[in-house]
Amino acid sequence: MIEYISSLAIPAVICIAGLFMLFGKKPYFESFTEGAKSGLRTAVGILPTLIALVIAINLFNASGIPKLLSDAISPAAEKIGVPAELIPLLITRPISGSASTAAYSSLIEEYGADSFVSLCASVIMGSSDTMLYIISVYFSSVGIKKSRYAIPCAAVVMLFCIFFSCLICRLWFK
Amino acid sequence: MLGKIFGILCILSLAGGIALGNGEALGVAVLDGASSAVSLTISLCGIMSLWCGIMKVMEHAGLIDKLAKLLSPLLKVFFPDAYESGNGIGEISANISANLLGIGNAATPLALKAMEKLQKNNPYPDEASGDMITLAVLNTASLNLIPTTIIALRRAAGSDRPYSVIIPIWIASFSCSLLALILCSVMRHAKRKRQKSYD
Repeated sequence: MIEYISSLAIPAVICIAGLFMLFGKKPYFESFTEGAKSGLRTAVGILPTLIALVIAINLFNASGIPKLLSDAISPAAEKIGVPAELIPLLITRPISGSASTAAYSSLIEEYGADSFVSLCASVIMGSSDTMLYIISVYFSSVGIKKSRYAIPCAAVVMLFCIFFSCLICRLWFK
Repeated sequence: MLGKIFGILCILSLAGGIALGNGEALGVAVLDGASSAVSLTISLCGIMSLWCGIMKVMEHAGLIDKLAKLLSPLLKVFFPDAYESGNGIGEISANISANLLGIGNAATPLALKAMEKLQKNNPYPDEASGDMITLAVLNTASLNLIPTTIIALRRAAGSDRPYSVIIPIWIASFSCSLLALILCSVMRHAKRKRQKSYD
């Protein structure tokens, strides 16, 4: 039931846009195409970056290092409920959006989109952002040199996010 | 920054691959990686265009302004300096609304504009003010209602129920954002007590 409602969320939002186009006074369809054009530009614009990063992540996965790492950390990680297969994603998530998208997509391709690991990865992707990137861009844009307690706070939130996302998946997808 | 990530990953992979006896897999990984980046982009193109288009309609219809008004009691608590002076409060609420609606592209410029305004309230221009830190940390806890990229990628990876993660994502991103707000407020007050001249 809940899943049925959430799968209707996106069509419903699109329908609202349709209502604006039908009854609104402004040229809303032109707004749509203008926005769509910028979306297309963004999607195609990140392709060169993605090519480099997907190759790097694939290389990293193929090298066997993540397996070695996850074997080493898995006893500890499993104890707090975080699957060790998430490691490539967890390394890249705080630093770069395109690198973590690359890690995420290779993870769900490898383990299957509806496996427990992939579900955890999806929730982590959806509830965290590229913390180091955001803090450095935001603060350097206005010439701030001391970030004070920003990074410790963001790191705590990130760790909580990883742990909590896996916990929710464990409870939700019983 | 990305150059460094690329360099580190490549060198580690080559060294690790040879050491662990996975050398042959590396060559294949490069070929697969290049083509899967292209298919990744193709599966993102459609949904990103659709979503940016829909959001542009919402933006022109004034939805972001309305959402910003709804958020204003919350901002009073967590961004006290901006709220008092009026500097940057509009940009902060627009940034949060853009994040909620999933327009990441719009959220960043709005946040940078907010930073500029907040810098005007900042008595120590070299150091981040309490409001700035709260805004930055809140943005690292991605509060978003419609995770389109994730859904598109799940569908592309062959999921029959790509939407099944929406509600867990809501719960997680809401909790992380709340934690970010509370943690920053607590830190702000703790620091203020120690150094009276701060903020």
